[in-house]
Formats: sequence, C-alpha cells, structure tokens
Amino acid sequence: MTAHPEVPGRLGNEANPAGVRDQNDTTPRPHERNGQFALRCGASSADWPPIQPGGRVESLAERQAGLVAALTAGARVPEGFDGRLVEIARVALLRKRAGEVAKQWPLLAASMRTEWMREFMDWAAARPTQGSLRDGWDLARDLAARGALPALAGEELATREATSHYDGHTAPRARRAPAVRRAAGTVVVQIAGIVRILRRA
Amino acid sequence: MSEVTTTTSYGVGIGWRPEIAGFVAGLPGLRFAEVVAESVHAHGDLPPGLPALLERGVTVVPHGVRLSLGGAEPVEAARLEHFAAVARRLNAPLVSEHIAFVRAGGVEAGHLLPLPRSHEAVDAVVANVKLVQSALDVPIALEPIAAVFDWPDDELDEAAFLTEILDRTGALLLLDVANVYANARNRGTDPLELLDRLPLDRVAYVHVAGGAEHDGIYHDTHTDAVPQPVLELITALCERHRPPALMLERDGDYPPAAALREELDAIAKAAGYPTVT
Amino acid sequence: MQLAATGDTWGIPGPTFLLIYFGAALVIAIAALVHRRILFAGDRSARVDQLGPQQIAFLNGGEQLALYAALGGLRAAGAIASASDKTLCQSGPMPGGVTPLDTAVYNAAGRRIRAREVRADQWVSAALLQLRDGLEQAGLAIPRAKLRAARLWVLAGLALIALGLARLIDGVQNEKPVGILVVAMMAAIVLTLTLNTRTKIRTRAATKGLSAVRRSHEHLSPRQSPAYATYGAAGAAMGVALFGAASLYTMDPAFAEEAEIQRISAGGSGIGDGGSSSSCGGSSSSCGGGGGGGGCGGGGGCGG
Repeated sequence: MTAHPEVPGRLGNEANPAGVRDQNDTTPRPHERNGQFALRCGASSADWPPIQPGGRVESLAERQAGLVAALTAGARVPEGFDGRLVEIARVALLRKRAGEVAKQWPLLAASMRTEWMREFMDWAAARPTQGSLRDGWDLARDLAARGALPALAGEELATREATSHYDGHTAPRARRAPAVRRAAGTVVVQIAGIVRILRRA
Repeated sequence: MSEVTTTTSYGVGIGWRPEIAGFVAGLPGLRFAEVVAESVHAHGDLPPGLPALLERGVTVVPHGVRLSLGGAEPVEAARLEHFAAVARRLNAPLVSEHIAFVRAGGVEAGHLLPLPRSHEAVDAVVANVKLVQSALDVPIALEPIAAVFDWPDDELDEAAFLTEILDRTGALLLLDVANVYANARNRGTDPLELLDRLPLDRVAYVHVAGGAEHDGIYHDTHTDAVPQPVLELITALCERHRPPALMLERDGDYPPAAALREELDAIAKAAGYPTVT
Repeated sequence: MQLAATGDTWGIPGPTFLLIYFGAALVIAIAALVHRRILFAGDRSARVDQLGPQQIAFLNGGEQLALYAALGGLRAAGAIASASDKTLCQSGPMPGGVTPLDTAVYNAAGRRIRAREVRADQWVSAALLQLRDGLEQAGLAIPRAKLRAARLWVLAGLALIALGLARLIDGVQNEKPVGILVVAMMAAIVLTLTLNTRTKIRTRAATKGLSAVRRSHEHLSPRQSPAYATYGAAGAAMGVALFGAASLYTMDPAFAEEAEIQRISAGGSGIGDGGSSSSCGGSSSSCGGGGGGGGCGGGGGCGG
C-alpha cells in the first residue's frame, strides 16, 4: 500500500496488530501459510474455482474481512482491487470518522483547530473504529498520557471521566459513585451527577 | 406490499436528524420523514422532537445502517430484534436498509461497503433479507449504495445484480439517485441506462443527497448541496415512473434554513410534487 | 461558687424560653414566606414566549447570561469574533433587527475590549439596565426595591439571633444548660441567611413561562448538537438564553474559550453532564456506522 498524501512517509504504526505491509514484503500472511496445493490424479483444473495466489480459495467472509482490514487497520489491499481507489476510500472513511468523533468530542476537536484532522487520522489509521465516543475517548487519553492534551480538551475529558466509567475495552457506563478526575491540568468533581470544575488549567 | 407504493403518495420528505429537529418540525406540508433506526431506542424515550412529528401524523420510516445485510455472516439477532422493535414503535408502513456490508472478521468498517456483484454475494444478501423479512410485519426496501471502488471479480452488472436480489426476495427498492449519479460518474457509465433497467415500479421511495469531488472521484458525502445533475436525474426518473416519495438526505454541515428550504423546493419541482415548505 | 438552679436566667425557665424562641422563629418564617410570595408573584398575565432571547436569558441567568445571549447572536451572525489576546473584534457588518444591547456589544467589540470586561462598558451596562427595567415593569423580573423589601426580614432574623446570643451568654454565666439553645440559634442563623436573598431574578410568573419556552425549544439544547447555521443567529441566541453558556461552547468552542465564557453560569447544563454517555446518543445519519454496541450507530456520506 502506498503512503497516502496526508501522512508522508508513514507506513508503519507500532500499535497496529494487523501488521502494515510494505509493497515489497513477501512474507506469507496467515492464510497463505499452507501454500502448496496438489491436483489429484484424474482431476482437471477446471474442477476447481480460480485460486488466489497463495493457494487457497477464500470465502466471501474472508474476502470481506480482508477488505475491511485494508480499509481500517492498515493491512495490504487485497489482490485485484484498484489500490488508488481503495486508498481514496480509506482516507474518506477516516475523514468521516474524524467528523463523527468531533461531534462527540467537540472541545477536543476544536482545541486542536487545524491540526485535528491530521492528528486524528494519524492516530486512527490502523485502529478500526470502536464507535465515535470510544474513539475520541481513547485518543484523548493517549494525548493526555503524552502530555499533549490541550487545556480545553482536558476539561471535557476530565468531566467525562468523572461522570462515566470506561475501561478502554467495553462501552462506557454511567458512574454512580462520586469521583474526582483530572486531565491536562483541570480537576473535576462529580457528586450525584452534578459536575463542578475545581481547578482550571 | 405494493399497496404502499401505489395508493399513497407522500411527496417530498426529509431525513430527520436531531441537529435539525426544529427545522423539520417547522415544515408545514411534511408528510413523510425517515430516521436512522439505530438512533431510536426500542424502549424508553424517543429522540426529542420525534414524538411531536408522529403525533402530527407524519409517517416516519426507520432506515437501518448497521444490519450489514451483505455480510457473509447472518444478521445479528440482537440487531434484528432492535430493528423490528423500532419499526413497531414508529408504526411505520415499511422499513429500509442497504445492499452493503459494514463489518467482517469481527472488525467494524464504520461505513457501508460495496459487495462483489457475484452469485455468492447475491445468495448472502438474499439469505439475510429473508431473515429480516421473517422478523418484520412490514415490507423492506433495499438501497444500493455508492461505491468508490469495485470488486475485481464482479460477475453481474449493477442492474442485473439488483434485479436478481429484488426478484428473489420480493423486497422493494429504495432508489438513491445520488448514488446512481455517483456510481455512473465514477465509472463513466450512463445513469439513465441503469434507471431503464431497474424495476421502477418497485421503488418505495427515493433518496436525494449532495456530494463533492476530490481527487477525480465524486463522493456521496451527504454534507453538500444537491448538484443540478441529480435534480435532472429526478426529473428523468419521474418521467419514467414517479415514486410515491422522495426525501432529502443530509447528514452534516447543515446550511441556513433558507438553503434547506430551497433544496426541498427544488426536489419538489424536479419531481412534480407540491412543496412542503 | 453558686449551685445550679438558683433561678432561671432572666426569670424565664429554659423550656419556656425555647418555646417562645422557636415560636418567634416560626412566626418570622411564615410571615416572611407570605410576604415574599406576594412580592415575588409577578404579573401572571405577562407573556414569556413573546420575549426576545436576551430578555429570556436575563430571566434565566441574569445580566451575565443576557450578555452571553447577545454575544452568541452576534457571533452566529458573523458580526463579532474573538482574537487570541482574548479581546473581541468586529468581523462583519451589524445585522439588522438588533436590540440596544446588541448595538452596545458590537460597538464595544469595535473598541477591542476584553470579552470579560464587556459588562463593565458603560453603554453595555446601560443597555442591560434598560433590559432589566423593561422586564421589571412587565412583572417578569423582581424589582430591586421589592428584593430589598424582602430582605428587611433579615433584621427580624438578626434580632432573633441577638436575643439568642444574649440568652446564651447569660445562660453560660449562670451555668445553665445551653445545648438546645445553640441548636435553636443555628436554626435562626440559617433562617436569616435564607431571608437574605440577593440573587432572585425572576418572578413566579416568569418561572412558569420560562419552562414552557424551554420545552418548546428543546431542539436548541446542546444535547441535540443543534445545527446553529440552520437555526440562525436568533436560534443561537435563544439556545444560550434557555440552555446556558454551554450552548456557546457547543456552537463555537474556540470563540467561547477566547471570550472566556464561564461555563457553569446559570440555566441549563454544564459542559459534560454525561455528554452523550450512551453510545447510542448523538450521531445519527444515513449510512455506515460508528457505534460498537448492538443497535446503535450512525455515520454520514454513503460511498466507498
């Protein structure tokens, strides 16, 4: 997959479990490892449907999975697709995701102004969506951990952290107990659903 | 099933969104709206503004976006249950979904993705549509999507693919003229040719939306104004077979109310229906 | 050292005094309550739904919110903007059909004053005063004179506290039990503080009308992520008026931050009152989904 114009020079992402592949990388992908096939005696190649390089016919499910992985997790574009068009689709998907996350996290997006799109697309390029609320949450937490979360976004994150419980893996749940949370210099307290900002950055 | 399409004429409608709920509430002639099925809870409160619309007598149709009818896996039972429950809650005369898939291999694509136009894919869609039909009391209309790319091993062309699915399921067609336009423009084909080969008498209603071109590809964004060629396509469609309802589908970047009203009026004019503004 | 019970303080037995004390407190409380009900009733025939956004904002959150409503309306109309040095500036022509407050704020923006000092600007305060006077005359805002009249009961409360204090001092000198008296005095202090109303803005008539207006404008609530461009400047101002400063943050977070809009300022919710806490809330559009849970989703722009 070629590097797309939004993120020059960036093909890899160490957080990517699916594994970003360089065009020239020839190490076999998981489904290709049992690569050799054998024609049985007396049969002809017409008895079998066309075989993908790598040696096994993929089911519709597998092929759909391959396409989704290419569009959302940075995996290689499956054989036969127009790489340029899939790339255009991939970028369009990311832009759309950025817009949806911005709706759920308006202060996060606004505080990053013109950098929002680039920052989000970089972060999300190899992370399939978990829903825009969780995507924004994960991104905000990552930024906070790096100390790169702007103050305004910190208020939004701290407020959400104080009012909901989110473990990073399942859907967030409303928090019933009182809580004090801080992010990017802002401290927020929540008691019985009422939120007060104790200290602003 | 065809009673819905021939006897009642709803005219021009709009996609209901919470962001413009006040605007939709203020459309005096509105008789038909569509709501994203996944944004309506099966129990508990309806989104604010929707109850008032229903009380007014506006027909609200739930439009599913995440059932993934085109997926190789069967539709998830919980999603189907929710979909059917919403249809009953809204007392809708029909429901709609897409000929597309949105997840595979346990990963959400977050978007409607095109299917290969193969017999295997037709089988998958037909199986899922029949599953959904068994859970519903009302007909379902299927919407073909706009695709930026095609699969390498397409066996059928779009008209044949859609017609076969519709024939085998008996479902209605939700014709999105913006998608027809986008696909034709990107593939370099003639949109009218497609229209002539589709079963237009099976059209339950029509989507109209705007898009924009980037990098030589026209994207059906739903966040731009409806382009003139799409309006012309509406007129061409209505010359062949006027659908009972058409609706403006806008998902974001909402313009001033006057611009939205102008678009609704333009659609009405192109279709030969009275204005609803 | 005298033994206890050589005689009741002031010649009044403890329980009797306490009875009188609590009785007096009750009488003051009831009388004040009745008086306040009459004072704060307002004009029941006054219409809230015909007021402009700034007036509604005033009834909801006082001068501060009325000012924010003006800022919101002007911002949505593109007439003013914020600069990075936290000042306001003019970014477009004055829109038509504006109130004196709008004009005053617009002119203040032309003088590049800091957003949080706009309220101190003399023309802006004059316009706010005029706004308030109009609402007082309509029986929707409590006139300051009536508020002062209601606060006269504080004197009664203070007298009661003084009485209790005197009794307390004498009682301690006489080594009488004063436990319950202390409790009674604390009640008197609480009563006095309650009577010291300084910030009651609207009359009861206005409160009812305001709730009705808020219900009919539910679509402007920040929870709905209203499309401010669609609803226009009047809609933006009304959103601020009914749902508080949080509306400004929803509408234009960069502007709200630079203008140092205080978020938790009356009427409506703070920024993240749970936000869209369930993944079903918020986004809704016609194709493709973003949510992860069963039956939730939404995303825009169908197409590859």
